[in-house]
Amino acid sequence: MHSHVGQGEVVLERILILLLFLIGFAGIVGMRNIIKKIFGLTIINSAVVLLFIVEGSRIGNSAPIIDAEIGLVVDPVPQALMLTAIVIGVCVTALALALAFRLYKAYGSFDIDEIHRQVHRES
Amino acid sequence: MKFTGRFTVSPESSVFSLVMLPLLGAALVMLAKAFLKGRMAAGMQFTAMLVGLFGPWLALLYTFPLVWSGLTVEGVIGNWSGVVGITFQFDGLAWLINALGYTVAGAAWIYSLGAGPRGPVFSSVFLIQTAALAATAMTADIFNLFVCLEVLGIASYVLVASSEKNGAFLASFSYLMVSASSMVFFLAGLFGLYRLTGSLSYSGISQALLALPDQGGGLAAISLSLIIAAVAMRVAMMPLYGWLPDAHALAPHAVSAVLSGVLIKTPLFALSRIMLIVPLGAAAAQLLGYAGAATAIVAVLVALSQKDAKRLLAYHSISQIGYVVCAWGAALDLGMDTMAGQHLMTAAFLHAFYHALFKGLLFLSIGTSTDRAGSRNVYTLRGAASTLRQSGERLPITLLSFIIAALAISAIPPLNGYASKIAITYSLKGSWQYWVLSAASIGTIASFIKLSRIFWPQPARIRLMATEEPSAVFMPSVATARHSGLPAQIVPGPMTDTSAVKRANLPVGISQAMLALACVASGLAAPWLYGFVLRLLDSAASLGFTSLNPGPALYTADNLLKTLYMVLAGFVLFRLAVSALGSRLLSLVRDRHRGFHGLFLSFAVGLSVLCVWLLLV
Repeated sequence: MHSHVGQGEVVLERILILLLFLIGFAGIVGMRNIIKKIFGLTIINSAVVLLFIVEGSRIGNSAPIIDAEIGLVVDPVPQALMLTAIVIGVCVTALALALAFRLYKAYGSFDIDEIHRQVHRES
Repeated sequence: MKFTGRFTVSPESSVFSLVMLPLLGAALVMLAKAFLKGRMAAGMQFTAMLVGLFGPWLALLYTFPLVWSGLTVEGVIGNWSGVVGITFQFDGLAWLINALGYTVAGAAWIYSLGAGPRGPVFSSVFLIQTAALAATAMTADIFNLFVCLEVLGIASYVLVASSEKNGAFLASFSYLMVSASSMVFFLAGLFGLYRLTGSLSYSGISQALLALPDQGGGLAAISLSLIIAAVAMRVAMMPLYGWLPDAHALAPHAVSAVLSGVLIKTPLFALSRIMLIVPLGAAAAQLLGYAGAATAIVAVLVALSQKDAKRLLAYHSISQIGYVVCAWGAALDLGMDTMAGQHLMTAAFLHAFYHALFKGLLFLSIGTSTDRAGSRNVYTLRGAASTLRQSGERLPITLLSFIIAALAISAIPPLNGYASKIAITYSLKGSWQYWVLSAASIGTIASFIKLSRIFWPQPARIRLMATEEPSAVFMPSVATARHSGLPAQIVPGPMTDTSAVKRANLPVGISQAMLALACVASGLAAPWLYGFVLRLLDSAASLGFTSLNPGPALYTADNLLKTLYMVLAGFVLFRLAVSALGSRLLSLVRDRHRGFHGLFLSFAVGLSVLCVWLLLV
């Protein structure tokens, strides 16, 4: 229940979410191992899910159960959206891992630079 | 709105069937795979594809009178109230995009019957992709746009990888990573807009933003640029095009035709719905239009340097989408409530539509020729026309298709590319974009002269080498491929089987003939089509400009003379490109470093530029 969240706490939460996002993005760009890149994708996805849930919970302040004081409930829309986004994220991750597996079978490596080199040599 | 008659089909449900029929087809394909065997399974799969790809034409015909009379079918999915439900909007634009999508998807599927890929997995993913295209075209809800783009994306990653080439897995992986990451940015932007407005429908967002004192200020600008950059990634405009060449070049030919023909344009036109009504939309469109002009010229130069025939075509897709984005951006900048804006949007859509026809045809005909010849190298492959003849094509449909499509993309009258390029440049006359696009047209002509060399008869030297090896008489360029040090697996296995080639000829020929006829017919009927599209796009805004201006005159002495000059300049550029210095310069362009990280760097750069631009206006 977030009825009395301090301003400092809000800022801290936003900074932590941003940090999480940056860690994931650094993983995608900086890591050479494609499995770690996929981890990075999952992390930025989770960061945005957290953003929706944490920030979305500040709109209203009680559980979204239809009751007498309906005006005060937490906005359920961001949470509903995130259910969809999580499902899509899982699909994308699964497909990415499948592709990583095929790449490993074809080139014997998870290293993106090494795979690029071999593909370049083939063409 | 209810119609009386034996069957009462509401317009809403017929609009839904555009999305539901392909999904039904996909389900039937999967059921056939799970429960049936042999001929039954094949028959059911075939029926399911017919239902999914050609059934929607009935719905398009049924809704046409409504859209033509300027009505928009609007509604909320599942009859929820408009505040919480998912809204959709089926207007002239959505009708046109659907017609474009189902034309190319149908032709590509017929082609795949002959040349592959086949099988239930390919068929069902192909249908899901088509359904997502239809849904993207008519959505009016920003979260639904996200879902549609993701479904579209997932289907296309699978289809790119379905060619089972090793390089295709890398292309698909890179495409997936960069596009899925950009969709996460899209989601962050979506949250920004939701936080500001409390709404997810386009109209709700724009009304709430307009009501805010500073129209949302910095947060709105940042959110909007996150959303636009993610969609621009799918459209593959500068500088976000890095994933496209490999993905489109390594996909199966039928898939390449749909990817280049339809998949990169649908998100663009879907984006125009939201950009038209939000504040800052016009400013963003202006910048995208500039980027489009830059895309057209840069991509054509890179295309000119390519060695692989399909990669050359893929770079041309980027260049041609640059034309579309340039006209589209200028149209949204002027606003669809002005006559110039309407004409520019019409030109943009017509070019997108004609490009889908001729680029689809190019991918199919070049794909057929290079498969039969066993090489894709533009520099060494020669005599593809005689190879096609030897492989049992009695009528030279593939060669004729290539000629028609190459003339169309080079904007030679009376083919369709001429009409749309004239329409785009007519509306942009006097601006710097006009000159940039004209220069890009010269590059297009030059690089198609270069590509057409694969059909020229072989020089004596290569023919001599071919006769040395008995197996190479049927496949003359196999010798070429071996001598230029290409790996042996490029020489096709199944296609060397003569009976398989003969059986494949019929659907391959039909699909190419369909698209070739469409190219010629839409070229001849260009003035009429211009009026048709103008009226359908106008119906969205209901302004009634149609009667005032019939569009640009096509065959004026001025335009024809300009075309002649361009062709001459194209020849000169081609001579320069194959000269010693030219080919050295082009090989530098071709072998420039292209890595995985560049994709993300360019996304970051594009996003920041757009963000700064929107914050400053």
